[in-house]
Amino acid sequence: MNDKPKTGLFAYPTAAIFCLTSIFWMMIATFLGLLGATLLIAPDLTEGIGWLTFGRVRPAHVNLVLFGFVTPGLLAAAFYYIPKLLRTDLFSEKLGILSAGVWNLMLVAAMVTLLAGQTQAREYAELIWSVDMMVILSFILVIINFVLTVKHRKEPILFVSVWYAGAAVVLTATTFALGNVVWRPDSGALTGIPDAILLWFYGHNIFGLLLTPLSIGVAYYVVPKVCKAPLYSHTLSLVGFWSLIVVYTHIGTHHLLQVPVPTWLKVISIVDSVAMVIPVSVFLINIWYTAKSKLGEIHADIGGKFVFTGTIMYFFVSIQGSIMALPQVQRVTHFNNWVVGHAHIGVLGFSGMITLGGLYYILPRITGRPIYSRLLADFQYWLVLIGVTGFAIVLTVVGLIQGNSWLNGETVHRIIPQIHLYYVIRAALGLMIFTGAVIGMYNFVRTLFYNPEETS
Amino acid sequence: MYFPYFMIYIGIGFAISLLVFLWALKRGQFKDQERARFLPLEDEPEPAKVTVTKFNRIEGYALIFLAIAGLSATVAVLVFSFFSG
Repeated sequence: MNDKPKTGLFAYPTAAIFCLTSIFWMMIATFLGLLGATLLIAPDLTEGIGWLTFGRVRPAHVNLVLFGFVTPGLLAAAFYYIPKLLRTDLFSEKLGILSAGVWNLMLVAAMVTLLAGQTQAREYAELIWSVDMMVILSFILVIINFVLTVKHRKEPILFVSVWYAGAAVVLTATTFALGNVVWRPDSGALTGIPDAILLWFYGHNIFGLLLTPLSIGVAYYVVPKVCKAPLYSHTLSLVGFWSLIVVYTHIGTHHLLQVPVPTWLKVISIVDSVAMVIPVSVFLINIWYTAKSKLGEIHADIGGKFVFTGTIMYFFVSIQGSIMALPQVQRVTHFNNWVVGHAHIGVLGFSGMITLGGLYYILPRITGRPIYSRLLADFQYWLVLIGVTGFAIVLTVVGLIQGNSWLNGETVHRIIPQIHLYYVIRAALGLMIFTGAVIGMYNFVRTLFYNPEETS
Repeated sequence: MYFPYFMIYIGIGFAISLLVFLWALKRGQFKDQERARFLPLEDEPEPAKVTVTKFNRIEGYALIFLAIAGLSATVAVLVFSFFSG
């Protein structure tokens, strides 16, 4: 490592910019989520404002949570911990800053185009071709920086977090290009069933091969640091990593069990969905044993607290994921709000919590200043936690009402009055999460720019 | 014709994974695992003592309550799925 200062924004500019990117876009993304939830109970709220109709707000919310809040936040942590674990500097901070710049341009383009109605109309792959290319370029820039940092490392062994972060960006670059059918710029799609198959391989892998490995990588770094204890087993963590790579890549078709896709593909997706208990158990056993008897330390560190809670959410969402892949369960849970609840536990409860934990962990270390307000950070923690747990409960209730109604042949419009109350509660919970995002933004900005206190 | 795209998708992922795995094997990434456990802790200062306050305990109970509530929702789905209709 060279002699540059080890704290301060200029010591870790890439991590700092990705950190700000995440916390800013969390605010925008959760606002759009809140707006979408409000439109479900007051559809006329934005009447006459085309770019704020539900059909545009919803994909903007989803894409900005995915690429604006969670991914950049997890990358911010990775840009911090990868050089630390490899005992070297980031290959190029300039390249990192450039990648963060391209990333933010892409996010602006994504929001503008989606709200303007420019969409390829494929769930989770709505972005138009030009924005798709910006996403791919962003990932390529990050990959170059990661790979060359690994190449110039002074520590020969790659800690498991480095494996997870590297795999996430490399596999996602591939997944994204193929899943968005970038060789067909006009439609960004194949036709018929093959398109559905490819789309859901992408749709599930964007969670399984991007958010999951990035989140696990952060947890594997933060939990031992916070607990001041070695990882329970590094061998076990590598077993988990490789089993995730093998198992998670094939489960997307469990979204299509009611669709005439080949049976063998459905069988693979169901078997591998259940087999996900292997990498999930391996990770959770490893992390929880590392934290055994250290819950006081976890509790004392706001970053550790967010991350540890994220691991508990991972337990919940993984149980759900394996169970919902069973056809007998899916006949009730599919095509209704149960899936929405599941997605929120995964993206916000698991990845989002770990994102915030990673950001709160690295923030004092990259700035050399304490978090501006631990109270506000705790407040944000509880707002997000109650919000996402509330989502899980309310959307499960709504999902069961809808799922059983569909089974009984009920029509959609007859169910709406029954679920209206739950939609109101959902919007209220969304307001809590948006409030948490605003509080987080304030806390981060104060810590970064208006907090002269130096750590010892 | 779903096969070409499916095979490309799986094939590329498999090829990358296999190449990286072989590289890791050749470079001894699966050796010295005991030392690897400690990698995040290098230069770590001594842990500060943490005191558990009454508020910490209340917070703990609140967390357990939320966890039970979330788990109950999942159990409800199973019950409805397997025993309704």
